[in-house]
Amino acid sequence: MSKGVLLFAFNNESLNYVKQANYLASRIKKYMNLPTSIVTDTDVEKEYASFDEVIKLDSVSMQNRRKYNDGSFHNRLLNFRNSGRETSYDLSPYSETIVMDTDFIICNDKLLNAFSSSSDFQCYKSSSHVGHKNSIPEFNRISDTSVEFYWATVLFFRKTPINKIFFDLVKHIKENYMHYRNVYQFKNTMYRNDFAFSIAIHIMNGFQKGDFATELPGNNLFSLDKDVLVDINEDVLQILVEKENRLGEYTGVKVSGSNIHIMNKFSLERVIDGN
Amino acid sequence: MATKNFTMLAQNNNNNYVLQACLAAMSIHTTNKDVSICLISNDPVPSKYKMLFDHIVDIPWGDHAEHEDWKISNRWKIYHAIPYNETVVIDTDMLVLQDISVWFDFLQNYDLFYTSKVYTYRGDIIYDETYRKAFHKFDLPNLYSGFHYFKKSDLAHEFYTWLEMITNNWQQFYKAHAGGKIYQNVCSMDVSAAIAAKIMNIENKIINPNVKYPSFTHMKSRIQDWETYVSERWQDRVEPYLSNDLTLKIGNFTQTGIFHYTEKDFVNDEIIHAYEKHLGIS
Repeated sequence: MSKGVLLFAFNNESLNYVKQANYLASRIKKYMNLPTSIVTDTDVEKEYASFDEVIKLDSVSMQNRRKYNDGSFHNRLLNFRNSGRETSYDLSPYSETIVMDTDFIICNDKLLNAFSSSSDFQCYKSSSHVGHKNSIPEFNRISDTSVEFYWATVLFFRKTPINKIFFDLVKHIKENYMHYRNVYQFKNTMYRNDFAFSIAIHIMNGFQKGDFATELPGNNLFSLDKDVLVDINEDVLQILVEKENRLGEYTGVKVSGSNIHIMNKFSLERVIDGN
Repeated sequence: MATKNFTMLAQNNNNNYVLQACLAAMSIHTTNKDVSICLISNDPVPSKYKMLFDHIVDIPWGDHAEHEDWKISNRWKIYHAIPYNETVVIDTDMLVLQDISVWFDFLQNYDLFYTSKVYTYRGDIIYDETYRKAFHKFDLPNLYSGFHYFKKSDLAHEFYTWLEMITNNWQQFYKAHAGGKIYQNVCSMDVSAAIAAKIMNIENKIINPNVKYPSFTHMKSRIQDWETYVSERWQDRVEPYLSNDLTLKIGNFTQTGIFHYTEKDFVNDEIIHAYEKHLGIS
């Protein structure tokens, strides 16, 4: 059984997801000793030597604009090229795959336990903000009246017939996203992998609570894009966390040995660049 | 195999509870085999629905709810009126959506059993106390009379005797045990049953918080764990869909178990005809 990590990286006009992926791949090698393959439509430069395999796609066109925050006071409207996650099953060179967002920072080997679990599909449903926010409704359900929210940030799957059906279902949901938006009662028209995967999991569970997707090992820690990543030193991250209802005021947080999803990609790239 | 007896008590007012009971009976016959259903009512049952019931029994000893809008003052008579040695009692505004034979097997362990754990349409346990503030404040057993079971026994007989006394003197009992009219300004079977259980100190004998079922999906609007409140009518947030094979979906969720729809206008011709068609009733 081959094991590895698959990353999707589609640069936009301002953010270099391939650079983020290269940085993440080096950390995956260091902390998990797993190979990483990248799916991209960019010519991966020689300096990005961390990849086991580069799966090059033709230029992926996707108009999916979203606001990217860089702390409280700066944001940019950029193309959110989050396509491809639904093709993980088809594209992964591994029989057992962990798919990660490029803005996920690996600091330990806990996700390796996913490979020894009997569950063929694992992702996070629970999550914790790195600071003070105990519960953020948008991460509980995809809408007030609808289904539970599952994170597509990190996924584990084995290549099984059932998972083939699952990923085909995600493709179908993506292709008919406006229909599913109406049926599942969410307002935002921007395609979100989290939503498509949450809906697909709900359907695989027979439109009820179920155990098609089990919880990944470890904690799903995240910082929001209004928080600011300041530094990464080995497995220690320093983050400025925006205070609740105090625009532009921050609390310094130091996190050690925990994997973290950094949503402020500008600050992540600054740290990668050493600025 | 336990005897599968169901009992409902229906008294019409502005709402047609007998029709609800007929729909509930149709749902029972659709999903459960070898059942017996008793309807306790003084109101006429449409002739085409009489075959749904094995027993149609008059409410005994007159109508104690004659002057009530919300007619519950006869509920304590269920124990005395049924032709069974044991029965499950359900509210009329319920649909039984699956075979619950195993529930009856489980209930054999009890003389009297009340469900104490109910669910949202999404299958989450309801912790919200919006509709039962007195229960928390006055440490009443968190039981729901919408689904309960008893077998003719000393325990059940004594319990129903207390229920009679509490129902007939609810203002005094609620004042002593449930904070009076500030918390509950009409007689409630849930509150009355909880007070009876507390007085008899039998909470541990009649509820079991460690089991998921028997239970029901409780559709009161404010306890669905919604961030936004729109109205008391849950259909203003999520739509019901009944498929040709009588699978019920509420919003994005397939329903199983027992569905307590609570809103009277949930019952419409479409739903009734779907069940009638399935059972060949015309």
